[in-house]
Amino acid sequence: MAYRHFEFIEKHAAALGIFTAVMVSFGGLAEITPLFMEAHAVKAPAGVRPYDPLRLAGRDIYVREGCYLCHSQMIRALRFETQRYGHYSTAEESVYDRPFQWGSKRTGPDLARVGGKYSDDWQRMHLLDPRSVVPPSNMPGYPWLAKAAIDGADIQARMRVLRRLGDPYSDADIAAAPVEVKGKTELDALVAYLQGLGIDNEPHPAVATAKVGKAGTP
Amino acid sequence: MSTGWSLWVMFLVVLNLGITLFLFLWGPRAKIPSLPDQTTGHVWAHGTLREGLRPLPRWWLLLSASMFVAGIGYLVLYPGFGNHKGLLHWTAHGELARAVAANDAKLEPLMRRFALYPVEQLAGDPAAQQLGRRLFDDDCAACHGRGARGNQALGAPDLTDADWLYGGTGQDIATSIHDGRGGVMPPWGSLGEPTVKNLAQYVLGLSGAPHDAKMAATAEPIFKATCAACHGPDGKGNQGVGAPNLTDHVWLHGGRLADIEATIRDGRQGHMPDWDKRLDDGQIHVLAAYVYHLSHPDAATP
Repeated sequence: MAYRHFEFIEKHAAALGIFTAVMVSFGGLAEITPLFMEAHAVKAPAGVRPYDPLRLAGRDIYVREGCYLCHSQMIRALRFETQRYGHYSTAEESVYDRPFQWGSKRTGPDLARVGGKYSDDWQRMHLLDPRSVVPPSNMPGYPWLAKAAIDGADIQARMRVLRRLGDPYSDADIAAAPVEVKGKTELDALVAYLQGLGIDNEPHPAVATAKVGKAGTP
Repeated sequence: MSTGWSLWVMFLVVLNLGITLFLFLWGPRAKIPSLPDQTTGHVWAHGTLREGLRPLPRWWLLLSASMFVAGIGYLVLYPGFGNHKGLLHWTAHGELARAVAANDAKLEPLMRRFALYPVEQLAGDPAAQQLGRRLFDDDCAACHGRGARGNQALGAPDLTDADWLYGGTGQDIATSIHDGRGGVMPPWGSLGEPTVKNLAQYVLGLSGAPHDAKMAATAEPIFKATCAACHGPDGKGNQGVGAPNLTDHVWLHGGRLADIEATIRDGRQGHMPDWDKRLDDGQIHVLAAYVYHLSHPDAATP
């Protein structure tokens, strides 16, 4: 190694750029690649099942309305977090969240284990008009959710896509979807989703009894 | 992490540290051809700026060297070098467990003292009130309000008055928090709208509010036959099933005529969640004491 090699790098901007990029990429290659590749090996623990149709609809409304912009679903392993929100979140709990809703900003509280903390009625009133139950709240109201109906065929299409990605929905699950969301509003779906966030991710008899057959393969 | 990925991380760490360490050690010793004026001959701005050849300052060298020491020391002591756990065996979950244990140890004498007293007596303790207030704000205020005055639109009862749906002893309050409560007023619209209206007048009359005595008299037999099953023949309620007392001036879902008619016609559902999964028994004890204190602010310090 001689000085002239370095002089070459110093004097050629393209070479300098390339070598800089190579050096900088070491951090990402070491920290991100293994986690990214191993994430595919994370399996759902017992009790964590794919979203039933109504909750799936609710999850998509949660994403559509941008709830993740103010609410995280990630309880960190810190004492003051577990004391307030419950057991810290694990990667396995989010295997059926596409995309995951961990979030990175809390204007409102974390919602990872909010299921069952309040009554359904409270959730409804709070979504329609947050200040009717929490006067100092700065959360916006979502009154239109109560008027919008859920489209069963649309939910079936979403379930089929998720099945292609590996979620173990059976044909029976997908066939039953329109019946399960019949007559439900977006508000019902979002409340069902929120009330399911928590300790046992997705307890639901229809999905629980469905055996993972050919539907389980991506 | 699999062994393959562990080796991958180790390889990159060694490569990165190796390259930078080589440059750090080799740089000061590199033979750099210089011109008679002690510059490298690299010029900018038509010779106005020339690159000098001075040795790096000592503080910079020391700082850089200490970075290598800190970096390598970190990888030896803490997790980071592939699957190497670090000599200190530090983990985020272990750190959490220590923090929780430290906090529990700090609270332990206080919680042990709290456990000595029944809820009614603990209610007068300023420390219990303070801790209970924190728990209340986090868990209860969403429905019952920060001032604990309840929410009629939701049907969340006022906790500062002397009226209790399920009993107001310390034990009753603790049970309500621990197990939750589900209040069900069935809908009576099937009795027909005239009967609903008559019953509403009768209910108004029970608490001495202005009402239509004729309509109320018509409804009296129906009240005694139907509503009395839960609310009692005199309308004083039944704490065993959470049926409210109708003879006082406390209204869970509103006391206007229209509210009462709606309650009779469509029924009401009350839902107090159970807190035993979110709060431990010690916390529920303190919280019950705080709630008791809200309606008994003059209780003496134990």
